Amino acid sequence: MTEPVYMTGRGIVCAIGLCKEETADSLTALRTGIGPVRHLRTVHAEFPVGEVKLSNEEMCRKLGIPESAPSSRTQLMGTLALKEALAEAGLLGTDLKISFINGTTVGGMDKSEQYYLDFLNNDSRNDFIKTHDCGICTQMIGDYFGCFSFMTCISTACSSAANAMIMAANLIRSGQTDIAVAGGTECITKFHLNGFNALKILDLQQCRPFDASRAGLNLGEGAGYVVMESLSSLKKRGVKPLAILEGYGNACDAYHQTTSSPDGEGAYLCMSEALTMAGLKPEDIDYINAHGTGTPNNDESETTALKRVFGDSVPPFSSTKSFTGHTTSASGSIEAIICSLAIDRQFIPLNLGWKQPMENGLIPAHDDMKPAGELRHVLCNSFGFGGNDSSLIIGQCKGLSHE
Amino acid sequence: MNEVYINSAAQISIQKPLSDEWLANPIHYDAPYARSLEPDFRVYFNPLESRRMGPLFKRALVTSTEALKKAGLEQPEAIITGTGLGCVENTELLLGTLCTEGEELLKPTCFMQSTHNIISSLIAIHTKSHCYNVTYSHRSISFDSALFDAYLQILTGKIGNALVGGHDELTPSYFSILRKIGYLGVEGMAVSSETAVSYVVSNNPDNSLCRIAGFKMLYNPSQELLNSTIDTLLNENGLEANAKPISLSIISGFNGNPENDRPYASLIGGNPLLKQCPQLRYKHIFGENYTSSGFGPLTAAMNLKENKAECILYLNHSDGKCWSIILFEKR
Amino acid sequence: MNEELILKLKQEIIEVLNLEDVRPEDIDENAPLFGDGLGLDSIDALELIVLMEKSYGIKLQDPSKGKEIFKSIAVMAQYISENRTK
Repeated sequence: MTEPVYMTGRGIVCAIGLCKEETADSLTALRTGIGPVRHLRTVHAEFPVGEVKLSNEEMCRKLGIPESAPSSRTQLMGTLALKEALAEAGLLGTDLKISFINGTTVGGMDKSEQYYLDFLNNDSRNDFIKTHDCGICTQMIGDYFGCFSFMTCISTACSSAANAMIMAANLIRSGQTDIAVAGGTECITKFHLNGFNALKILDLQQCRPFDASRAGLNLGEGAGYVVMESLSSLKKRGVKPLAILEGYGNACDAYHQTTSSPDGEGAYLCMSEALTMAGLKPEDIDYINAHGTGTPNNDESETTALKRVFGDSVPPFSSTKSFTGHTTSASGSIEAIICSLAIDRQFIPLNLGWKQPMENGLIPAHDDMKPAGELRHVLCNSFGFGGNDSSLIIGQCKGLSHE
Repeated sequence: MNEVYINSAAQISIQKPLSDEWLANPIHYDAPYARSLEPDFRVYFNPLESRRMGPLFKRALVTSTEALKKAGLEQPEAIITGTGLGCVENTELLLGTLCTEGEELLKPTCFMQSTHNIISSLIAIHTKSHCYNVTYSHRSISFDSALFDAYLQILTGKIGNALVGGHDELTPSYFSILRKIGYLGVEGMAVSSETAVSYVVSNNPDNSLCRIAGFKMLYNPSQELLNSTIDTLLNENGLEANAKPISLSIISGFNGNPENDRPYASLIGGNPLLKQCPQLRYKHIFGENYTSSGFGPLTAAMNLKENKAECILYLNHSDGKCWSIILFEKR
Repeated sequence: MNEELILKLKQEIIEVLNLEDVRPEDIDENAPLFGDGLGLDSIDALELIVLMEKSYGIKLQDPSKGKEIFKSIAVMAQYISENRTK
């Protein structure tokens, strides 16, 4: 088993909560955040979405950022979530050298899609040219705190945040850094709302992952960051570990640019790799937070992969995208934090909207499911466009038992 | 810890594609903007494959294929890509449609190929590789981040080899956009260009071009930290900072744009060792774009191979804030 | 059968699907478009749905109907001439 990496801070902003407490409360109260669009100015009001319940102006005020400063919704949500994570880890205002690995795909696209013609034809919005790309979005989030000595951004669509966490863990394990914050952030944009619509994978109703009648996904938005550190850093700082990142895997489906393979090869490989790294057997997993977008293709492919890994004993699993919507680049870390909250409170997040099994399907956690035993090891899946598949295993940490 | 080598490289750029001729006979450009010169893609793709791939993808696939072939590899153990802007052509088509025609009738293929990770994904599909696959997108350290990831994984024995690429395209309209913010098209600076460069890096010294002897990436470092990091890198490799340098050259991203050049000039000018070393440049040959730093290691490797230096220290920054420092050593 | 429409459709399909090196006379209007024949796939089907709406004002409510309509260019032309609003 490889040396684990400890989680000491978590921050989350999503459709069901503006912080961890709210998010966990919504999960246990079965309160979805998916509903009619309110903030994004789109003609497609027919698609249910999981928006963060704050306007950009409200986020600016919370952060003390002037509303007139060029900023993007992605950056604002990211800054809020990162603040909560650093605060929990006792790192706000720290002098310590920390690494920051972000995950995003849209970056400042929410502004670019409004001002693109200005970019081309006049000089009125030149400030927003500078805020367009993923890198500058990351720097703007990080610079708010001023404590980072390493920074980069990963962009692998829906597995960006998970891969950011993997890179952070690798940095810690290789001794490059003692403390790293990683995760992702993404706001809903007309660009990708209409893009997903062109691919005909959006559902006009609330999504129903793994259900026979599932017809597509609901887009969501949000940000999630996790502070991770080495054992020696924990001890030096005298902080309590909240959870352990026990293992992870990254594999490519290498099948199609948007469709997952029928045999779920990429998913199978990354889940297997995570288990091997964690030194765990399939039966050690107590809950799986599935990628479960609610599209006919993903849920079928993921079901096949789950059966390949777990055989006849697939542990309780669910897709919390039925609460948050599909938060795309942020989903890996948002859902990893949800897994960690599930371990904290010892509950299994349910799969809302599920009524009937798919053909050859599995039955996700629904209705009144309680964990059969203790939730100790949780698997979290994130599968991106292009077959960028990643899995994380988060473990319960009851104090430092690795001395 | 394992050692890390560059085993092969292939490029498509504003220089003669898939060739080393740029070293002895670079093509000179007077214009502020130029697009890449391309090989005959029909040799590599049939029409059915080709139709869905814009130039960015074709170049990425061809340079990847060539780099793998040169290294004698069919499937790498990791595919790691850096791109600053991803598929600009498709992104602009979509933005244009959204802004002028509204939110109906977007082309699905355009959207499908606008996410940055599609380059890396296409390479995986083409080579049938299920290995570790990640894309970095962070301005002028996009390629460097990809190389750093590969370097760390090979160093720690997680993988034995990796295909690392830097890929960016630049449409005329996006050039005009970036010109407005003073990143490109500044009077007197190198031509604004496109990048497609692929490397195979591994723990295998056989037939390698050079060794990656050390690699550090820093965010917002002080001059002091930059200098001490360079000292540490050199010391770790038996190159005492205070002693006379043993044939050490510096390769950096000067491109004639004062805002870009200032941080390099400050660092090198303020360091007694660095300023007396021979200075190499590469952006006057390959131009400037977010992944043109990907040509730095190629230039370093070719200079080492031709015995023009024993060690080359590579310096690259993005916005004067993100720094990558690499020590390349003759094999 | 509307020869003009069939030719126009071939040209549009070549353009929209970026079928380089394919000329209208190379396409047999009765040959299958998907699988064998021209060898198009599910993403191409989505592009054809967009084409139908943009050029002919036909909105396909159920994308899965595409399979029947896109059987061949001849079948497509027939469907378009019966349902076009442009």
